[in-house]
Amino acid sequence: MFLEQLINGITQGSIYAIVALGYTLVFGVLDIINMAHGEIFMFGSFVGLLAVTKADAPLPVAFLAAIVSAAAMGFLLERVALRPLRTRRGASHLASMISTIGVSILLENVAHKLFGAGNHLFETSFAEIAFHVGPVTIYLVQIVILAISLVLMAGLALWLSRSRSGKALRATAESLETAGLLGVNTNRMITATVVIASAMGGVAGVLVGMAFSYINNQMGLSMGLKGLAIIIFGGMGSVYGAMAGGLLLGLSETFMVAYGSSGYRDAIAFVLIIVILLLKPQGLFGQAPAEARR
Amino acid sequence: MKKRDLRLLSVLTALLFALLFMGAQKAKPAAKPKSEPVHAKIGVVSIITGQGAAYGEAITNGIKMARDEVNAKGEVVVDLKIEDSTGKAEQALSAAQKLINSEKVVAIIGPTLSTEMKVVGPEANASGVPIMGTSNTAAGITQIGKFVFRNSMPETQAIPASIGAAVKKYKLKKVALLYGNDDVFTKSGFDTMKAVTEKAGLKILTIEEFQKGQADYKAQLTKIASLKPDAVFCSALYNEGGVILSQARKMGIKVPFVGGNGFNSPKVIDIAKDAADGLIVATPWFGERNDPKVKAFVSKYEKAYGKKPDQFAAQAYDAYYIMTNAIKAAGKADRAKLRDTLAATKNFQGVLGKFSFDAERDVVMAPNVLIVKGGKFTIFH
Amino acid sequence: MEWLNPYHLQVASFVLINAILGVSIYITLSTGQLSLGNAGFMSIGAYTAALLSTQHHLPIPVGILAGSLLAGVAGVLVGIPSLRLTGVYLAIATLGFGEVLRAVLINWESLTGGAVGVAAIPQMGRVILAWAGDRGFSPESLGLQGNQFISLAVFLILLLSTILSVAFFLRLSRSRVGRAYSAIRLDESAAAAAGIPITYYKVMAFSQGALLSGFAGALFAHSTSFVSPGDFTYHRAVEILVFAVFGGSEHIFGPVFGAAFLTVMPEALRFVSEYRYILYGILLVLMMTFRPQGVIDPPLMRAVRRMRKGRTE
Repeated sequence: MFLEQLINGITQGSIYAIVALGYTLVFGVLDIINMAHGEIFMFGSFVGLLAVTKADAPLPVAFLAAIVSAAAMGFLLERVALRPLRTRRGASHLASMISTIGVSILLENVAHKLFGAGNHLFETSFAEIAFHVGPVTIYLVQIVILAISLVLMAGLALWLSRSRSGKALRATAESLETAGLLGVNTNRMITATVVIASAMGGVAGVLVGMAFSYINNQMGLSMGLKGLAIIIFGGMGSVYGAMAGGLLLGLSETFMVAYGSSGYRDAIAFVLIIVILLLKPQGLFGQAPAEARR
Repeated sequence: MKKRDLRLLSVLTALLFALLFMGAQKAKPAAKPKSEPVHAKIGVVSIITGQGAAYGEAITNGIKMARDEVNAKGEVVVDLKIEDSTGKAEQALSAAQKLINSEKVVAIIGPTLSTEMKVVGPEANASGVPIMGTSNTAAGITQIGKFVFRNSMPETQAIPASIGAAVKKYKLKKVALLYGNDDVFTKSGFDTMKAVTEKAGLKILTIEEFQKGQADYKAQLTKIASLKPDAVFCSALYNEGGVILSQARKMGIKVPFVGGNGFNSPKVIDIAKDAADGLIVATPWFGERNDPKVKAFVSKYEKAYGKKPDQFAAQAYDAYYIMTNAIKAAGKADRAKLRDTLAATKNFQGVLGKFSFDAERDVVMAPNVLIVKGGKFTIFH
Repeated sequence: MEWLNPYHLQVASFVLINAILGVSIYITLSTGQLSLGNAGFMSIGAYTAALLSTQHHLPIPVGILAGSLLAGVAGVLVGIPSLRLTGVYLAIATLGFGEVLRAVLINWESLTGGAVGVAAIPQMGRVILAWAGDRGFSPESLGLQGNQFISLAVFLILLLSTILSVAFFLRLSRSRVGRAYSAIRLDESAAAAAGIPITYYKVMAFSQGALLSGFAGALFAHSTSFVSPGDFTYHRAVEILVFAVFGGSEHIFGPVFGAAFLTVMPEALRFVSEYRYILYGILLVLMMTFRPQGVIDPPLMRAVRRMRKGRTE
């Protein structure tokens, strides 16, 4: 049972990690908690579902459709709910947080109108492929999910540290004004960030559908809350922190159910952040102390 | 704000006068009371938006269908007022207050959740408005007061039936329990489940919990699988239940699943497909019953809404008939009189079968025990 | 007395409870601390009051007092370790506190009844009616129906509670304490350099906010007569924050207005039924775009005061 639970935990954790990567990217650059990220993830999932079930599209096309639509929603989110606030004086971070909350309420209810309430079956033949290693069954999907999350993490880390645009992005994150003076088109960098983060949400959406076979219009919220908790204990803006935090949360939830009480499963994420914040307020991988980054 | 309130008030009073006037006009040719329809305004509190809207949708669909049928007959002509509760107790209370005091309805059908009923029920009772839940299955609902009714079978009646039948047939010895611990419906279903299991002398291998909105039950199911139970007793609503079944079968848990009333829905089969086979439920609602009334209801519903009716739709449909029959018996839209005729409902023959209220205005009905076989609910022998 | 509609009084009652909640988050915000734990503190107040009156049969005011105080104590206990955190970190840690507390309410069945909640909590209005009825009073003597009287009684108690709370904190904001709060909000290190005991004031603001949330929770329990963990979710925490930010978090009337507007609006939008939360979402975005500081801000209040002065002269 231990091995099976380990696999369950890693699968869940990898998905958490991908969602958290989206949060951490936006927070790292904008210092904004994008409360609509969970709902964009949910929408991506539904677009993937429609591509698979209604259009009979192969899986890669479903991924592409989910990525494109999530990215488009990220673009709109930035244009409609974030950019107008950036240029206004007197707009605190609270204001942009509330505005993304507004978008999340909107999206959840639009999804309800479009797709209906309740669970939808997300069936793909790919999700049925399994290996039997002794008494343990491993699904190919589970391996793919872990691989995708690792690739996304590594790619993101490389991009941020090596590429020119990645450096521009970090400059933007450091200071909007300075980056602007240095010739970085900060507006474009910010849009790119939100779009990339949202696209990753789309990927995570399809992966959730494949891993658990079901999606519904409420899943953005619970996934979003978990993602928030992860970036806190992983360290805000840290790519590795999001990955490590995601895995840690996935595993601790699973083992809490396996060896403890399943009633507290949803609370673990927050117990973890409370403990982490009291011991190491900047999070596991957080670099700068919390105060300096306001 | 004030101006609008005033305007609202004047519109409302105008409406009220108009109604009074209409009533007065209607009262004149009252010489032939038999052919004269009884006019009434019935309120519905249901979940239109938010979590749980799937249940509210089925309920309002069932009610609207019944209204169209009854209105067409012309004996009781009802003006239906549907208000959204969003699944929150406060919103449900505001909605009910609006129906009771602004719309002046003669009775209320709903609200959807037991938590909402526990807030709305006392208020309706204090205001002397009959209120009938069509989907509240927790314990202690009709005990709120003498104006509170329900026609949904409580889990305390449904679960002993399904567990009893399963134990007898499969000679169960050791079982695993699984339930949603953050929902009144599933929690109080579980309490019954646990009591019945203990009384039947079965060994409980483990009790596992899940929370609303989770997509992944693999951790709980892996644990259950490793303990090799003879059956899994699961208190869940169909939405989560279908997913649980599907994931369980995928993990190699092939034993029967036993659920209560909440598990009974064609949606379970839509969601879980073949994995639903072996699910045992106890419920008054059986959509495949060989009864012209049920068949007509199912085909008409399917035509109108593009899906099969579930127990929520069926219960709401019957509730509407029970309500309008009582209004007919009362002869006029009078709250106190309606309460008495409603409480006197005996042997009503609806799509759920024969229905009566007991002395505490709770359900008297015999549940069917059903099992899913080949993607269909069938009677369990 | 036909015009006295219990429905309107009901909505007004929720407006008042929400206004107290809005003020509770405003107080912590006024020292620059963003707490999302107010739903949690509210649940402490609500459950304490509910359990004291249903299981120990204590009078309602005792339960309300105990609930508020317990929430205030919890505020101190959470506030002290939270001093190390600021901004989003604090927000999410306090949100976490609320979620953990809710898990405890769900799982500690022997005390709280779990998800089933606590039912049959004495409702203030009905208790008053029964009490007055025993002394030969009948609401008809005032020309009122029974349910009108009940709703009116609840409304008046809540109105009094809200006015007292707002008045107290309005007064506080003009006192030494209030000035210390705003100094801390503007610049913490400067305030410390000026000799303001930061720790003391921050914890005090935090626990005052918690106490007020608990107070609102206890009133909530005695007006709806039922509480369950589902009443104190993440949604409630965010809703309270939205009251303050939408209405304006720089003046105490901001959250009061926000609570009033955002409670009445979904009621007024009932006719669009399934679209109303879509509209709610759009409204939040638009509002933050065009008036990110909230509807009511100090310049507006000054303008109002000037206008009023102009009129009296």
